Amino acid sequence: MPDSGPSSASTFAVVGLFAEPEAIIAAARRIRPRKLGRLEAYSPYPVHGLAQAIGLGESRLGTYVMGMGVLGALLAILFEWWTSAIDYPLNTGGKPLFSWQAFVPVMFEVTVLFATFTAGLAMLFAFNRLPLFGHPILHAKVIGQITRDRLALSLERTGPGFDTEQARRALLESGALSVETVALPSFAEPSLRWLLRTVAGIVAACLVAGVGIYLAEKLVPVVPPMIHMHDQPKLNAFRPSTFFADGSGMRPAVAGTVARGHLPFLPKSPEEAGRILVNPLPLDQRVAQRGRKVFDDHCAVCHGVVGNGVPLLSSAYGAKPANLLSSDLRGRPDGYIYGVLMLGKNAMPSYAADLDADDRWAAVHYVRILERAEDARDEDLP
Amino acid sequence: MNRSVTPSRLGRNLLYALVLLGGAGSAAAYLTVGPQRFWANWLLWAIFLLTLGLGNLFLVALERLVGAHWSVPMRRVPERIASLIPLATTLFLVALLGVPVLFSWTRPEAAHNPILVAKSAWLNLPFFVVRLLLCIGAWLLFYRFYVHGSLRQDKSRDFAFTVRARRLAPPFMVVFFFSISILAFDWISGLEPEWYSDMFGVYLFAGTFLAGIASMTLGVLTMLRRGRLPQVETRHYYNLGTLGLAFTVFYAYIAFAQYMLIWYANLPEEVVWVQRRVTGGWGPVALTLAFLHFFVPFFLLIGSAGKRNQTVVIIATLSILLGHFIDMYWLIFPELGAPRFGWPEASMAALFLGLAFLRLRAAMQRGADLPVGDPLLAKGLEWQP
Repeated sequence: MPDSGPSSASTFAVVGLFAEPEAIIAAARRIRPRKLGRLEAYSPYPVHGLAQAIGLGESRLGTYVMGMGVLGALLAILFEWWTSAIDYPLNTGGKPLFSWQAFVPVMFEVTVLFATFTAGLAMLFAFNRLPLFGHPILHAKVIGQITRDRLALSLERTGPGFDTEQARRALLESGALSVETVALPSFAEPSLRWLLRTVAGIVAACLVAGVGIYLAEKLVPVVPPMIHMHDQPKLNAFRPSTFFADGSGMRPAVAGTVARGHLPFLPKSPEEAGRILVNPLPLDQRVAQRGRKVFDDHCAVCHGVVGNGVPLLSSAYGAKPANLLSSDLRGRPDGYIYGVLMLGKNAMPSYAADLDADDRWAAVHYVRILERAEDARDEDLP
Repeated sequence: MNRSVTPSRLGRNLLYALVLLGGAGSAAAYLTVGPQRFWANWLLWAIFLLTLGLGNLFLVALERLVGAHWSVPMRRVPERIASLIPLATTLFLVALLGVPVLFSWTRPEAAHNPILVAKSAWLNLPFFVVRLLLCIGAWLLFYRFYVHGSLRQDKSRDFAFTVRARRLAPPFMVVFFFSISILAFDWISGLEPEWYSDMFGVYLFAGTFLAGIASMTLGVLTMLRRGRLPQVETRHYYNLGTLGLAFTVFYAYIAFAQYMLIWYANLPEEVVWVQRRVTGGWGPVALTLAFLHFFVPFFLLIGSAGKRNQTVVIIATLSILLGHFIDMYWLIFPELGAPRFGWPEASMAALFLGLAFLRLRAAMQRGADLPVGDPLLAKGLEWQP
């Protein structure tokens, strides 16, 4: 039976059996220089020197892993730099946007991810030729002996130049106990049809799993879907709560709290305000601009753009807005104008809710500027 | 293997000259630039030489602990380098004179510092000295047991010693890890007593292991190149490269973890110590340290071809040893201000390098180059990966 081997074209390899490690190493050394085919060895236990004897070089896997590991590190730092410094800059504790220290753990993880996936996938697909599920040697009759107590040296067919007879003779001459010709299994080369069917199967499995889980969640809501931050133990404003003694979920401000830009206003009349308040804003270009904007937006509609009490709207409105350039107002302190803005006067309502403190003081400055502009002299011209 | 190698007289005389010159320079340094810089240098060299010696003693005990065979033919090398321990412990005893200069917690102002008052149960002079003496006693006892015992076994061929050495390895590990942590906390992080890091003992251990494996590898390859270890082959020292690679990664992991946690939390009492060491003139020193202690040896040793190539391995070990020295310098010297390496540092380096090499030359003549009395030697020589 072992001698009735198939013809060269459908041959995978010619396998010779050996009993001793020394014998197989000697045979490999003899056959290797003759270049009869690709030399491969099988052994149930590690044999030192056998790898060198069949000319097995260093695996290229390490180089692939190193290359992909470095690529992973570079991609990770590029990605972290782009997300945290370019696309969505987020200040974290005042640290620089590009904080390499914080990026190192992610770089490390991505390096390991790329390296291990390369090691696993390259081993399976590039070196173990994965779509090939069974190595042809598994169909040899000697496989039972190879996995028990015999060593095997095989000459694999590399092309049309491979001569089965020559390989058999070479193995027998080198001391093989017996020789077997192993045929190429029929499924050795995966067809396009097989590959397409496999891919279609994987896609179908993903679809079934995804749609199935979606429908299961929808139709049989045994496991409530995670709705993230909506459901969590928290106190809502304007909602009752049993946690606090007053039964309210909202906390009142601590007594004496002063919000930024909302200093309490204590005077009872503009006159009192004029006595106790001084303008805290130093006058500069920026404050003057701001005062002009506040005045034009809120005051000019009644007091006129230059503050002379001639309203922009029809005088049919009825009220008589004050002339801000009058000598009476010129004689009053800044705090008086501020007090009028806070408390209102005659038909003028309070602007306490519409403006903040700095806006009001800027407007007071602007009123003074308008008064000064009324008295402009020749030398004021640029 | 019992070839007696007579050391050249010239080399010995050169070392004596180095020690004399260095000693004179050191004395001049003490008198002119002041005691603080002198004692900082003294501490630097004491710790550097001690960690070299302890790292090698650790490797000797580690072999006993795990029952390794492959390292037995090379074990004389770490046993000989471990002979730096008596020298370094003597340096530490002398360094007790410099404690008031080096450590701010010994000064009277410390009584007004609430942090130091809270730490005074640990940081007080009597306890400090007792701790040092206990550590030194333990190190010397284990050194005598492992190194002298192994030398005695050359003649007695007593198998009982191998059994005892293995039995004492677990207690050695416990004592070693406690004592190296005490050394780290007392003599290095104690320089800035307000600061603390839980990781610091492990940090010094990682550096010690790395210094140990690098000096052992360098010693093995030097002896190989001089033909003194003809039975040791590539398959033996290949493992030293593997251990060196593993522990540069371990060191980098510990060092970075400590740095990143402190950087991230940004607590003022923790961050000052790090900030002093990565900003200003110390930034380039820290970067050099990272390269010499991690990047250079890591990329040299990661491939199997690199670990087989003696020249590559020697460059990697020299990088690690220089990195370890810079590491100790980087830990101690920022307390004095900006990085400085002038004539006081150079002369103290000459003094202590001279002393260390004199000590190592003497140790190289003790016993055979192979532990001929060890019953595991034959197995170790035959060992295959």
